[in-house]
Amino acid sequence: MASPATLALGPCAGLAPSQAGRAIFPTRPSHLLPPTSVHLQASSRRPNLHLLRNHLPAVRAVAVDSDQLGSSQPAEQVKPRKYYFVVANAKFMLDEEEHFKELLFEKQRNYEERNKEQDFWLVVEPKFLDKFPNITKRLKRPAVALVSTNGPWITFMKLRLDRVLADNFEADSLKEALAYNPVDLQFEKPEKWAAPYPKYEFGWWEPFLPPGSNKVMA
Amino acid sequence: MAAAELSIIKPINPTTKFGRPTSKFNTLRPHSPSHFRVFATSQPTTTTTSSSATKPRPKKSVKTAIKETLLTPRFYTTDFDEMERLFNTEINKNLNQSEFEALLNEFKTDYNQTHFVRNPEFKEAADKIEGPLRQIFVEFLERSCTAEFSGFLLYKELGRRLKKTNPVVAEIFSLMSRDEARHAGFLNKGLSDFNLALDLGFLTKARKYTFFKPKFIFYATYLSEKIGYWRYITIYRHLKANPQFQVYPIFKYFENWCQDENRHGDFFSALMKAQPQFLNDWKAKLWARFFCLSVYVTMYLNDCQRTAFYEGIGLSTKEFDMHVIIETNRTTARIFPAVLDVRPEFKRKLDRMVEINRS
Repeated sequence: MASPATLALGPCAGLAPSQAGRAIFPTRPSHLLPPTSVHLQASSRRPNLHLLRNHLPAVRAVAVDSDQLGSSQPAEQVKPRKYYFVVANAKFMLDEEEHFKELLFEKQRNYEERNKEQDFWLVVEPKFLDKFPNITKRLKRPAVALVSTNGPWITFMKLRLDRVLADNFEADSLKEALAYNPVDLQFEKPEKWAAPYPKYEFGWWEPFLPPGSNKVMA
Repeated sequence: MAAAELSIIKPINPTTKFGRPTSKFNTLRPHSPSHFRVFATSQPTTTTTSSSATKPRPKKSVKTAIKETLLTPRFYTTDFDEMERLFNTEINKNLNQSEFEALLNEFKTDYNQTHFVRNPEFKEAADKIEGPLRQIFVEFLERSCTAEFSGFLLYKELGRRLKKTNPVVAEIFSLMSRDEARHAGFLNKGLSDFNLALDLGFLTKARKYTFFKPKFIFYATYLSEKIGYWRYITIYRHLKANPQFQVYPIFKYFENWCQDENRHGDFFSALMKAQPQFLNDWKAKLWARFFCLSVYVTMYLNDCQRTAFYEGIGLSTKEFDMHVIIETNRTTARIFPAVLDVRPEFKRKLDRMVEINRS
């Protein structure tokens, strides 16, 4: 049987080994914290957001006291790291593929149980897409990307979601990697809903948005 | 494998230690192994009164042969030498190892390591289930346990046999057998709430195994896992919205549980992608449709024989099944070269089979 380290590194061939190791076993305390206080800026625009966030399941990167942010400053000046993503149109990702919601909450539960820092986010209309004309020409908008520093996991998510496009890029900071263009999402209700249960609620994805995101709901 | 079961070959004749009187035995015997007819002869609700099942008795007191029909879950075996050749990384250079390694990571994460913990609610709930529903509940647990255990045996052996030629694929099989064993064990503990137990060790030895060539194992297990996911998540979400039907706590575990099934299905998806010859010609299309048909029909006929179970948890059996079929078909279309047209005409034909199966 292959050792975990060997396997975890497989699809991360492009990464420096030290970075890859961190990406897969994110035990670092402060590396992925949002640079400066993104969520505070957002809060000042939308006073409700802060309250809302407190009611959502804990997202580690968000749950940071403002006094800690100062101390994490030096760590932000790091060399670029690699971000992997799959992307598709928002309706597919957030409305149609309901197992996707289950997977993200399962992963979040797992990270909480094992005290792992969050290393995956959902980004609506990410700015990094501008770097990928071959992807954008095939993509219906608005688009939603699942972004993670964990390459193998994104490979798995590509296998699961199937009708998504995958690639990776480097960014100097988390803020840069997860930058997005604000957009209102609206999904039409399905014409007939034959399932013997209600649909997952609009907005289920909010806990996974980049730290400090606006609520996407109109 | 999940609660869904595929059974299209000959019935077999096992016995189990199973403390439940079974008054009706199926006597169906096809003429030859290749001759299959997709129907069942036995009705699930036996004439025994439920009191005989509720009466506590020592677990080993009665050794009963369970009835075995074309529709009962069965055990599978395959051509392990061919499997070894298919996944030998030296022979087959095109294997997408990064996909398998990604899957291995997921299985190693072991999301449900601490999920299957019981509590006193189980026994209390079981004691309250009475009448015909009790019998049918027991049967649900028994069949689900057998199906999960069947997955355990097959995956365990594949894990063992592929170790040398493809350690990554082998380890995934071993980790999937871990999941299946956990599921089977949990269901078997559920049976103990009803003062019953399946003797799995005995089952392993006593039951006959149905042989499927590797490609048929891929089609069949992919479908079993995905349809299992859809069954479990549908029951879970229905009960979450309608908690008054939550009669037994095992359903509360289904949400996390069925993520295992879904991941197992993903693995078979990757296996088939690695063997495009099983996906890309007209024969593959026919087999893909055949397996969809067999799996959907088997489930529909099985469930329509047990409407008391689904109605007992507040579901309409046929609506439940059609939802599961439509969603499984939609999922399966991502990987199979062809699937079925499951528009209303398909349901009309299924319903006709249910009628024929009754008479």
